[in-house]
Amino acid sequence: MEMRAPLVAAGIFLLGLVLLAVGALIEPPRPQISQSGESLIALGLTFIVVGVGFFLAWANPTA
Amino acid sequence: MEGEHGTSDVKFLIGRNAGKSAVIAAFIATHVATMAGLWFDGARLPKFDFNNLNGYLVLGLSYGFANPAINFVVGGVIHYTSGIIWGVIFALIFHPALGRFVKPLRALTPVNNFIKGVIWGAVLWIISSAFWMPLLIGPLFQPINVGVGPFLTSFGPYGIQALFTNLFWHTIYGVNLGLLFSPTPAGGPRGTWRSSSGVGVR
Repeated sequence: MEMRAPLVAAGIFLLGLVLLAVGALIEPPRPQISQSGESLIALGLTFIVVGVGFFLAWANPTA
Repeated sequence: MEGEHGTSDVKFLIGRNAGKSAVIAAFIATHVATMAGLWFDGARLPKFDFNNLNGYLVLGLSYGFANPAINFVVGGVIHYTSGIIWGVIFALIFHPALGRFVKPLRALTPVNNFIKGVIWGAVLWIISSAFWMPLLIGPLFQPINVGVGPFLTSFGPYGIQALFTNLFWHTIYGVNLGLLFSPTPAGGPRGTWRSSSGVGVR
């Protein structure tokens, strides 16, 4: 569990990067909006924030 | 930086007790998420301006549109107060309760505290999307033809991305709250569960 958690967080972070990249690619130029593109951007950023947050907690010196 | 209470065996990243730590952590988390929500437009996401939404709720649409600065400030005070109160509920009730019911989250470690914060963010996302937005903001915006679908599946010109953007907003809040409200044992063996007993909660 202890060893697997950082790997899971890294996976979440990478998944976020992939979703963000795909969302950015399919998002049309302004002023058009794409429901799928913006959804993927939002989900990608969410996963990235969770992944980064995990590593910040994991690296906390008070642990 | 770490505050250690004189009689407590729990230390906090900010503040000397759970209440103070919760208020400060919740204020920072609310501010970071609120500012991010105002910048969402730059990332091609629906802008989430909870300050103005709260202002419209209490002052009314016509007054809010006529006095945007007052609407923003009054709504902001309400929004920040809500954010802090939800943070205190997390710190004093949800955090210890989750530790008692979910065994892997019992130990007071920064990672467990962070995971609890993320879960709390998801809980608030569900409350916001299922109740606050469709039941309060939807009817309020109906006269200007800005619809809010069930469970925030639409918001004005936006579709399901509004729901996921709301998840992103509440994740930012939960991540910051979980990172900043971080009680850990002041001494003794690592992984000892103390929070559920109320130790350190003043």
